Amino acid sequence: MGKTVLIVDDHPGFRASARRMLEANGYIVVGEAGDGGSALEAAGGLLPDLVLLDVRLPDVDGFDVARCLLAGPGPAPQIVLTSSHDFADLGEVVGISGAQGFIPKAELTGSALAELLT
Amino acid sequence: MTTPTRARLTTAVAIILIGVTQTVLVLESAHTHANGAFASQTTYLLYMLVIGWGFAGAGLYADARRPANATGRLMIAVGCAWLLRALEVSSNPVLFAVGSLLAPLAFAVLNHLLLAFPSGRLETRGRRWLARVGYVNVTVLQLAALLVTDTRAPYTACEDCPPNPLLISGSATAYGVITTLQSLAALVVLLGLSVVLVQRWRRASRALRRSLSPILITGALTVLLVPAAMAAAALDAEASADASLIVALTLFAAIPFAFLLGLLRSTLGEAEAVTAVVSRLGEASGGPALRDALAQTLNDPSLQVAYWVTEITSYVDTDGRRVALPIAGERTVATHINDGDERVAVIIHDASLEQGGNLVATIAAAASLTLRNERLGAELRVRVAELRASRTRLVAAGDEQRRRIERDLHDGAQQRLMALGMDLRLVRDRVDSNPAEAIELLDDSLQELREATAELRELARGIHPAVLTNRGLGPALKGLADRSPVPVLILETPQHRLPPAIESAVYFVVAEALTNAARYAMAQGVTVNVLHREGRVDVRVADDGIGGADSEEGSGLRGLRDRITALDGRVDMASVRGEGTTIEVTLPCA
Repeated sequence: MGKTVLIVDDHPGFRASARRMLEANGYIVVGEAGDGGSALEAAGGLLPDLVLLDVRLPDVDGFDVARCLLAGPGPAPQIVLTSSHDFADLGEVVGISGAQGFIPKAELTGSALAELLT
Repeated sequence: MTTPTRARLTTAVAIILIGVTQTVLVLESAHTHANGAFASQTTYLLYMLVIGWGFAGAGLYADARRPANATGRLMIAVGCAWLLRALEVSSNPVLFAVGSLLAPLAFAVLNHLLLAFPSGRLETRGRRWLARVGYVNVTVLQLAALLVTDTRAPYTACEDCPPNPLLISGSATAYGVITTLQSLAALVVLLGLSVVLVQRWRRASRALRRSLSPILITGALTVLLVPAAMAAAALDAEASADASLIVALTLFAAIPFAFLLGLLRSTLGEAEAVTAVVSRLGEASGGPALRDALAQTLNDPSLQVAYWVTEITSYVDTDGRRVALPIAGERTVATHINDGDERVAVIIHDASLEQGGNLVATIAAAASLTLRNERLGAELRVRVAELRASRTRLVAAGDEQRRRIERDLHDGAQQRLMALGMDLRLVRDRVDSNPAEAIELLDDSLQELREATAELRELARGIHPAVLTNRGLGPALKGLADRSPVPVLILETPQHRLPPAIESAVYFVVAEALTNAARYAMAQGVTVNVLHREGRVDVRVADDGIGGADSEEGSGLRGLRDRITALDGRVDMASVRGEGTTIEVTLPCA
């Protein structure tokens, strides 16, 4: 059975495309969130295996959301950060956020995700 | 020689002659008709001349320096009255009677002088009343007393006095009643005068106190000690009476010099002050020269000079800082310096200087060249500061605009293109295995592409509208009007092209005004009018909304103001609550 995923992004069009891509690659999308606050709430209830987390959110920074998810009391999900920016625009903060890794949105595919998670 | 100078010289000669005549009279007289120390001719003469000539001389000096002020003439009157009272030493009955009649006159004039100092005018009804009581006491009541004064009778205690030619009927009772009445009137006047002086001291500003203090101290001590001497004499305490009188008269003699000191400490005569200011300006180098020269000359360290700057409709100091005008009732007042209807400057000074009449304005007129130069300097500093601030704001606005564009791109078209990329990759994977789903995904992708293109077009128009570059102001404004949610009526626009910077400025003024009309003003309609005439472009955008907008508040309007100012134009906004908002912009444009 595929991994359960929570998609966190403030752009509904991107969330829809990401859901299609993930489901086509065998993931089970259990929820979507448009900002950091509702992402933490959804993760607490849904306990997803994986959170696809946009770096730039309207309320809090994606890195802060990652830190909160990892510091939570329950089992910590795997976190993959995404952004429309390149890795070079973000730099070291990705490494120290505790996330599994970073995939720019322009390169987000099932195979890129699978490669990062293995 | 001018007429006033000749009059003062004549007066001076007359007073010297009176003094000399009186000296001869006292020296030739067998007695002074006075008691105690003043029975001595030398002592009597010393006090007569020092007080008489002292007051008259100080009065002449004060009158020469400040002819518009009656203080000098009142001092001369005190001196004359004091000298003339010495006629009472004469053995000639007529001269003796005249001297006796004039004896207390000097005190009444002194009372008038103290009540009127430093303006020289009796300014309130109370003061006028007190002065009148004083004069009635020393004229009417004095004459009445003399009519019943039998100098040979014991009740007058006048040793070796000649017979009184004014005597009608000697009466100890009538004499007692009248002199008691005189004492009471004198007491009322003294009390009133004390109240006036205390009040004046309490209300006086620092500068006024400096000029009041010498007179008030000597005056107050004199008016306290004269009744003390009289009381001591009434109690037959001769030694005390004598001592009190000597101290009182010594203080009395010091009063003219206290007046002079006060005069020197207070405002100067106009001519003298003008000379002082002009010469100080000549010595000054840099800094707020005029302020310093005026402050020193007028003896008011708190004095401020502020210059009118039309652009910011405010007064500023030489450093270009805004200066608030004093409000009514404060200890400082503002003397406005105008050139016809045009405001030039304002001098904020101690209220006491107003008592010098037009002194401040006269001095300012004499220093008008410096005033104008310093005003130009202040105006320049304001402009430079304003330019610096607007330059900083323009740079900040540019940065902010770039940040906004980046955010708009990131949140809009960029997200759509990312999603589009993901969908197209999915299409590529499905095109063989599931063509129907691939076609559906392609349709979604095309829709996403259309929306991304529309967003990019809108964003590009916000950065700089292509229609403005290609077709000019008329079609660009029409485009704005068509897109506005509030109905817009364009009255007139120039038929020809204007310089690009002017077209941009006008376009963004109208765009900002229309955005505000729709977003904040709750307007039902807007009219736009753009006219190019007489070397300028006039823009007027008026809405019928709720009004009450603040031009300083919104960063949009401030940004527009900076843009217009950079083109040497000006922006005026009228936004009375309930009467809509009108923005008027004028730009120089040949």
